[in-house]
Amino acid sequence: MSDSFLQVTNLKKYFAVREGLFSSVKSFVHAVDGVSFEIEKGKTLGLVGESGSGKTTVGRVLLGLLEATSGEVYFEGIKVFELKRKALRSLRKRMQIIFQDPYGSLNPRMTVGGMLGEVLSIHHLVRKNERRERIAELLYLVGLQPEHMNRYPHEFSGGQRQRIGIARALAVEPELIIADEPVSALDVSIQAQILNLLQDLQEKLKLTYLFIAHDLSVVKHISDEVAVMYLGKIVERAGCRELFSHPLHPYTQALLSAVPIPDPRRRKEHLMLRGDITSPIHLPRGCRFHNRCPQVMDRCKKEEPRLQKQGNNHTTACHLYQGNQMQTTDKRL
Amino acid sequence: MTDDRKNQLGNLPTGQSLWRDACGRLRKDKISFFALLIILLYSGVAILSQFNLIAPDYQKTDFVQRYLPPSGQHLLGTDHMGRDVFQRVIHGSNISMKVGLVTSLIAIPLGILFGSLAGYYGGRIDELIVWFYSTVASIPELLLIITIAYVLKGRISAISAIYVAIGLSSWVGICRVMRGEFLKHKEREYIQAEKALGAGSFRIMFRHILPNVFHLVIINFSLRFPAAIKTEVILSYLGLGVEKQPSWGLMIADAQQELSRGVWWQFVGAILAMFFIILAFNIFGDALRDALDPKLRGEKI
Repeated sequence: MSDSFLQVTNLKKYFAVREGLFSSVKSFVHAVDGVSFEIEKGKTLGLVGESGSGKTTVGRVLLGLLEATSGEVYFEGIKVFELKRKALRSLRKRMQIIFQDPYGSLNPRMTVGGMLGEVLSIHHLVRKNERRERIAELLYLVGLQPEHMNRYPHEFSGGQRQRIGIARALAVEPELIIADEPVSALDVSIQAQILNLLQDLQEKLKLTYLFIAHDLSVVKHISDEVAVMYLGKIVERAGCRELFSHPLHPYTQALLSAVPIPDPRRRKEHLMLRGDITSPIHLPRGCRFHNRCPQVMDRCKKEEPRLQKQGNNHTTACHLYQGNQMQTTDKRL
Repeated sequence: MTDDRKNQLGNLPTGQSLWRDACGRLRKDKISFFALLIILLYSGVAILSQFNLIAPDYQKTDFVQRYLPPSGQHLLGTDHMGRDVFQRVIHGSNISMKVGLVTSLIAIPLGILFGSLAGYYGGRIDELIVWFYSTVASIPELLLIITIAYVLKGRISAISAIYVAIGLSSWVGICRVMRGEFLKHKEREYIQAEKALGAGSFRIMFRHILPNVFHLVIINFSLRFPAAIKTEVILSYLGLGVEKQPSWGLMIADAQQELSRGVWWQFVGAILAMFFIILAFNIFGDALRDALDPKLRGEKI
């Protein structure tokens, strides 16, 4: 069950919201609604979805920044949610996060050296007289210079700041890194640099990535496997190449057709989705995607599709592909 | 690593902190620099008069020389007991500056403490603290001060009672500001990063969030200070403040009866002394806000 490096089973995170000023009736935002996946050591899982799909919440819950409503996370077999404070702290050393906004993720009143030094001192990682060398080493690792140590975040460019964020995450020598849209706030030219840096680091330090993004072209570049999220659920999951060549779920197909091609002469048919993502408070009955799906059937409005295998390492939750498996479902009923 | 590189790491160029940035900005502003000079002048005068180094004859009465108009000998004339008004104005600055400083030192740490706890922890703690400061804020300030001062009067000296009373009644403003800021900052990504790195709550609150909101504390201090001065003047005027020391409030109260006899100098002296320090604080406070609050500069942070 828990022999993989990171295993997430049926993870749920609901946020309570009050309806109206005086009502005591609470409704829930179903940010993450039963998500399961696993990542092997040294691999990268890309988690994609539009904003509001709950992908960022997955990352935050994994790190314990948000408390899960239910579900389990196993990190090398350890049940993360059952850990006491002290054990959790030592686990924190092993998983880290890189944030989306390089302008908001660094403390503006602290020098780069101060920031990295603090991380080292929280976990008593190096002796005091060796701290500066270790900081310099970390800066080298992410492609910065030691003389950047005494500078403040506002003296750096966006790409450099993101490198600082990466250095901070690496300071504790983690094994798993949750990259929460690490390049989506950067210029396209800088994006490639940061992605290459992340790949180099993965090779050098044997890192495992959960790579969260809304941009499929970025995910394609870096992932081994890709999971597509819609309204708090994973709707399709496959190996990176497989997913990009044979997308099954209509939502994935729509996402893929929205990826821009950097060639003005080539035209592509866009599979445009109508409407916005449905409110995660009042979920539609049946398939969550049915009100925007171009291939919607009657069944989709009544019955929620389950994730099912569609060949080698490719799963999707869509009734379009579950016709032939009806019998197996019926048997269970 | 080689010694050579170790030495290199020892002397790296230093960066430009946001504080230094703000100081540079402040220095360029001539009016606020002048206001700061006035504040420093008042502080200097207050310290010197504390040790009786200037205007030593402020308590000397001379009933022959009552109500003398301003002259070379008595710059601001004399009062109903023949005391030199100018010397008393000077000594009045002592009590004013002390009230401003001591009450701020009581109110600001209280406000920071309650505000940061409420904003950072939220939930029950927040509800309790908000309820508490709402209750305090709903009592008219002067009444609250007078009540606290009366309760304390027998136990500690009158002036200490005033310090404590003003201090305990004026922490709500800074507390509200701090609560809001902590609420906002605890969701910021740099704080999320610290949490993910395993930093404890107190480290996050006081090493990460507080330095990022401290400019608001300084701005609040620059507003708190003149407000406390005014409050002390009002209290002394009402006869609830200091008794044996000269205070601008007491002088204004005394001057009330004198005004009808055409003796205006005591009144004008005390009012002008108060006017300049409060004006200086207001100008300096504004400049501080411009220099320290990045939102008003339209700069990314």
